[in-house]
Amino acid sequence: MGEIPSIGSRFWWVDLSMATPMTAKRAKAVRLLLLALSVASAVFLVTVGSVAQQPAFQPRLEEPEEYPDLPGREETFYFCVACHNFKLVAQQGMSRHRWDGTLNFMTERHGMPKLEGKERETILDYLEKAFPESEAPTGWQNPFLKR
Amino acid sequence: MARSTGKTERSLEQMYDNDPERTDAAVSGHGPGTSRRGFLGGVGLAAVGVAAGGTMPFGRHMPAGILPTALAQDKKSTPAAAKGPIHLDFPGKDKGLVVLGERPLVAETPEHLLDDDTTPIDKFFIRNNGQLPDEAKDPDKWTIKIDGEVNNPFEITLGELKSKYKPQTLRMVLECGGNGRSFYAPRASGNQWTNGGAGCAEWTGVRLADVLKTAGVKPSGIYTAHYAADLHLSGDADKPVISRGVRMPKAMEPECMIVWAMNGQPLPNVHGGPVRLIIPGWPGSASQKWLTRIWVRDKEHDGPGMTGTSYRVAINPMVPGDKADPKNFRILESMPVRSIITAPASGTRLAAGTRNVALRGASWAGDLTVRRVDVSIDYGQSWQEAKLSDPRNRFDWQRWTTNVKLPSDGYYEIWSRATDSEGKTQPHVAANWNPSGYGGNPFHRIAVLVG
Ligand code: HEC
Repeated sequence: MGEIPSIGSRFWWVDLSMATPMTAKRAKAVRLLLLALSVASAVFLVTVGSVAQQPAFQPRLEEPEEYPDLPGREETFYFCVACHNFKLVAQQGMSRHRWDGTLNFMTERHGMPKLEGKERETILDYLEKAFPESEAPTGWQNPFLKR
Repeated sequence: MARSTGKTERSLEQMYDNDPERTDAAVSGHGPGTSRRGFLGGVGLAAVGVAAGGTMPFGRHMPAGILPTALAQDKKSTPAAAKGPIHLDFPGKDKGLVVLGERPLVAETPEHLLDDDTTPIDKFFIRNNGQLPDEAKDPDKWTIKIDGEVNNPFEITLGELKSKYKPQTLRMVLECGGNGRSFYAPRASGNQWTNGGAGCAEWTGVRLADVLKTAGVKPSGIYTAHYAADLHLSGDADKPVISRGVRMPKAMEPECMIVWAMNGQPLPNVHGGPVRLIIPGWPGSASQKWLTRIWVRDKEHDGPGMTGTSYRVAINPMVPGDKADPKNFRILESMPVRSIITAPASGTRLAAGTRNVALRGASWAGDLTVRRVDVSIDYGQSWQEAKLSDPRNRFDWQRWTTNVKLPSDGYYEIWSRATDSEGKTQPHVAANWNPSGYGGNPFHRIAVLVG
């Protein structure tokens, strides 16, 4: 593997080495991912040339099945993981209006493709139901409680 | 930007539209007569390039096995979501660190691992906002640009920085602006730090003020703006990951430094090496990692991370969970007072009959110092003062010790609270709710079980 352009290191978190067939549902969600990934095009054009290094850290592969099984899960998961792990999403608990604000923030600040219409509704529905506003702070956990 | 013109370069999206089953087979490599390598080496890569907004040059050199995770995930090789904390597995780092996020990599240090006077590198928390840059091959050739509202803009290599300026070593706390966020209710958005987004290391470098003086800051230069070499998570190389700055009087404090060593070691890449800023007492995001440029500005910096509600707190207190009015926000500067109990660890079981428990901890207060630390074993009904050490230098943390007497066997919570040099004490709960949860500094609370 001599000639690895550094896209290998930029996208070292992605791995197809143990691929399994996709369901039609997943295939549909992938379209959303590709849309989200369209912002990543610059990397294809600017980082080729240098040699990739073995990254020091391999993030754990995530999959949508780890998260609450509600309508819109696949669409939301694949859209959001274009840039960051889904855990960053799943560790939040917000009202619909704050999730809505988060989507705007992703677009305005971080260059996420604008979500509109039915897709936006699907994703907001999922976020609101799967990670609702929570009155309980996550911070302190009793170490003697068996969870 | 190169655009696809070739007829063979259909996008993956189109391929799914036209023939999902065959595309699945091709992508997954399980299709009859289609080897995965064959697919990836041919139209597939071009297709991804097209789908991503342009052809991917040199795609044919890309090794098989690299495509977005989402295109194929393997159930067998993917561990199920772990219950409880995920521990860090990173070369040179302690496995006790707790991963808050993997992409970007963010990990905090549980309070009991902050028991050393100087936090060892392996136990120091990690906060990245983007993708880790590649390790610098020749650190001394790393270049930093100083420009903007200065009389003599210049570029300087790390090697020159080391030889031309007088170095100093100070032990100082570096703390993430979001430290304590997880104590907010309703939940504030961002990484759910407990108290472990902080550490206290010995930093070696030069005074930022000395470097700015060489550049000759004009009277109009009132704010700094920091830039770095890391890459935005979206992969857009033109987009700064984060770019924050500070008011000039802060930048000129003698403890604000451009550093290249941590605890006497070359600054590790994951901590911003080969060279970063340290702006002690203020949110860690001002202490730009992989520093490449300091732009002196004639107004408050407005880079990503400076505006909206990022690294800002409400001026007039808002109803927790409500819509934020950006006009009601000010930049978070000095971090609030905080104390932690570093021994025993929360969850420690003590032998039946144990009555005396020795406590150790740390405390710090942003730009201020800590005046006193108190502990309680009865949920704050009574407090006893701990023995508090002096900081070695400004921005060092202050270690404290005390012994508590437990009246019986059973379940006890031990709480600690610090009071800063202006008389402000840590509150019971995270106060002044704001959407991104800055300034959360309630008492530290641990639980032990006797018997
Ligand atoms: C174009 C890239 C991109 C996409 C796509 C994207 N995000 Fe983000 N998101 C970011 C970046 C960059 C950050 C900041 C990461 C950091 O600093 O740690 C972020 C942070 C967040 C945070 C943390 C909160 C905060 O205030 O920092 C949340 C929540 C979040 N994203 C939700 C989402 C959701 C939900 C989606 C999918 C609908 C999504 N993101 C898709 C780029 C993206």
